[in-house]
Amino acid sequence: MFRNTREGLALALPAAIFSTLLFLVPVAILLSEAFRGTSGGWSLQGYIDFFSTPLNRTVFLRTLKLGALVAGTAAVIGYAAAFCIVNLGPKSRGKVFGMVVLPLMISPVARTYAWIVILGRTGIVNEAITGLGLSDTPLRLLFTETAVFLGLLQLFLPLMIISLVSAMENIPRDVIPAARVLGASWIEVFFKVILPLTKEGLVIGGTLVFTGALTAYITPAILGGSKVLMLETLLYQRVNVSNDFVSASVIAMILIVMSFSANLLLKRIATARN
Amino acid sequence: MSDAFVQLSDLTLSYGKSVAVPNLDLSIREGELIALLGPSGCGKTTTMRAIAGLLSPTGGTITIDGRDVTRVPANKRGIGLVFQSYALFPHLTAFENVAFGLRLQKLPEAEIKQRTEEGLATVGLTGFEKRKPAEMSGGQQQRVALARSLVMRPKVLLLDEPLSNLDARLRLEMRTELQRVQKETGITMVFVTHDQAEALALADRIVLMKDGKIEQLGTPADLYARPETAFAAEFMGFENIFKVEGEEIVTTSGRLPLEARPESPILAWRPDAVTVGSGPHEGRVAACSFAGAHREYVIDSALGPIKADAAITLPEVPLGEAIRFDLPLATARGLAA
Amino acid sequence: MNTSMRHLANWSILGLTLTFLIGPFLIIILAGASNTEYLAFPPEGLTLKWYLKVFTVESFRASFLLSMALAVFGTLAALLLGVPAAYALNRYDLPMAETVRTIVAAPIIVPGIIVGLALLRYMVVPTGVTVTLALFMAHTALVLPYAVRVVSSSMTNLRADMEEAAVLLGCSRLQAFTKVVLPNIRGGVLAAFILGFVTSFNQVPVSLFLSGPGVRTLPIDMLAYMEITFDPSVAALSALLAFMSLAIVFTAERLLGFSRYV
Repeated sequence: MFRNTREGLALALPAAIFSTLLFLVPVAILLSEAFRGTSGGWSLQGYIDFFSTPLNRTVFLRTLKLGALVAGTAAVIGYAAAFCIVNLGPKSRGKVFGMVVLPLMISPVARTYAWIVILGRTGIVNEAITGLGLSDTPLRLLFTETAVFLGLLQLFLPLMIISLVSAMENIPRDVIPAARVLGASWIEVFFKVILPLTKEGLVIGGTLVFTGALTAYITPAILGGSKVLMLETLLYQRVNVSNDFVSASVIAMILIVMSFSANLLLKRIATARN
Repeated sequence: MSDAFVQLSDLTLSYGKSVAVPNLDLSIREGELIALLGPSGCGKTTTMRAIAGLLSPTGGTITIDGRDVTRVPANKRGIGLVFQSYALFPHLTAFENVAFGLRLQKLPEAEIKQRTEEGLATVGLTGFEKRKPAEMSGGQQQRVALARSLVMRPKVLLLDEPLSNLDARLRLEMRTELQRVQKETGITMVFVTHDQAEALALADRIVLMKDGKIEQLGTPADLYARPETAFAAEFMGFENIFKVEGEEIVTTSGRLPLEARPESPILAWRPDAVTVGSGPHEGRVAACSFAGAHREYVIDSALGPIKADAAITLPEVPLGEAIRFDLPLATARGLAA
Repeated sequence: MNTSMRHLANWSILGLTLTFLIGPFLIIILAGASNTEYLAFPPEGLTLKWYLKVFTVESFRASFLLSMALAVFGTLAALLLGVPAAYALNRYDLPMAETVRTIVAAPIIVPGIIVGLALLRYMVVPTGVTVTLALFMAHTALVLPYAVRVVSSSMTNLRADMEEAAVLLGCSRLQAFTKVVLPNIRGGVLAAFILGFVTSFNQVPVSLFLSGPGVRTLPIDMLAYMEITFDPSVAALSALLAFMSLAIVFTAERLLGFSRYV
């Protein structure tokens, strides 16, 4: 035959083998570490120990909470922004959309560092507060959950806007005017027309933002420090400070399970659409 | 067989475990324009791809001009193929598309230029050298594809559904164009089509295929007038095909007597071979449409629906009214079981 | 609501959103120009000295070069693996196509920090592979999914019978690829390179554990630097990096309509 399977495999397998050896195998060993009991054999002791430490529980719940908060806020802002973008003329639409996408191409270190300038002791917010006489001493704004929240939101909001814009572009023309003519208020239009028709985009955007926030390292590291640990920064600490590879393995498993289930969800939506 | 230019002997073609074409024998004469005709899945495209070398046979041999090419790779076979989609190279101009194969042969630049320009002239595209495929119409793209194959002076030129992507007007134009090019160059051409009108109009001989086998092979006149099987008859526009038992025509809905006992087990009539307005049988008009020189009736009869053409001089019979008709043995085509 | 009011509402929402997304960069550019020994905004006096200092910090120079090399060679290696894989996944009816696709895409799904740690523990430590080589392989694997995805999508528009046509005109299989396929997916390959470069260059979590004496990628080096120093040079460097990314993306957009491929 013109194209035989052996030839195809010869072309595809190097990439697959490379990924297997460099990703799957080492990661699998790492994940198995938490199941290895001290006396050999398999056990769940690593997980029990991990979750019986209050700090670990706090960090776990905080990570989930921040992820959900960031995704929720991004959805609210995202709907407003996406709706405005879709209503723009074709020319300015491209420009504004480009401005939304651009930050994604810029180093997250740079993107996060800006918040130090804004929220730091001598940053713009504190200058304003002390300048206006609202407080004599600068407030501690960095290393708070709020700072991490703002940093993550700025980092991942574009993903939500992109998903929602492409979902809204697929709403058939005249559906919204038609609903208005039929007597729907804007609130009704949103909940009965826009939301159902952009559900997929919302789920996709939400998943991207949620997993993004879950697995971000730089933002909690710079803006949260050791005061506001998240799972990723906790993992780093466990390894670098206490050489605790069992905890690292547990955290890795949590992150991978969440990340994978989010991805499966995305895939299911993508295939359901086809 | 001595005059065979392309000879397929006992050719078996399969995709994985499923056999698409079993044990095919076919000889094509030099300079002939031959059509592989049949419905989709009949093996015509598979056969064409095997001749081109894009598919290696699981059995049998292919000989071209006396040379066994069964194991010769596609790029060494010297065969041209005009793809249904044209498969032009989008990044190259019309000139570079046509010159593509010549350049691979490392011919001198002057010869490449001359032969390419000649090729474009043959298909009437002089002046279009600098256009990219995206800047040309479908018809022009097809001419480029044709020129691209012709300049290689192939032993055999294969064409995959050459007219199917063109609109009605262009189709007629391209049909005459293909015949002209074939006459001028004398190249042996094999084209694949599912459209019997196209095959009848264009080909010297038609190979009608069904389920990977040759159903019937002959000149267009042969096939049109004398189909041998019910399948061939249906493909050639015999719309009324019935089984015969003794002196009667039999269908699942009923039976009608014939004037005598026929020799063939199956009889077929074209709509214009059915007598309308007179005759021993009666049916009801189920549909009637005006077609210029005649009216096309669908008659609800004891046999089920019968398609019949009536001369325009005959007064129109309204829908639902009784109408007389006959299936005369004299105009019937007898078919093998 | 009348049209001009709706217009106003539209643009104020967009204005606020864009300020939130892009404003921080403007702040960083100015903060890097502050004539103070510490970070300050609004800047107190303007100077270019922090922007210039960035180029004199020895560790920044070394880590910039390492990040550059990783981004360029890691992406090239990923394309070397990814282009044939994308081609095979598009053109062949492979028995395990879905598995191959999932395996190749895995690096996107697995959080980078885990990959870095796993490579450190089970490759660098036991086999004695250098950290630099481990970094190179990690970055290659990280970029691979993007390479396969972008090249794949530029290949789906390319009809398979074009290669058959080329072969019938005398090409070998390899020639058909280089003369027909490659020229037509050039844009996709370039876009994949740029996307891969930017992804690799900005990557932090994978490189976090993969650092050793004198071996640090630029973002990691910046993290380390800002822990001990509070002068505006990190702001200046951030601004410079942002400009670099923007310049690359803008050029790419101008030259080949980059956004089409991403």
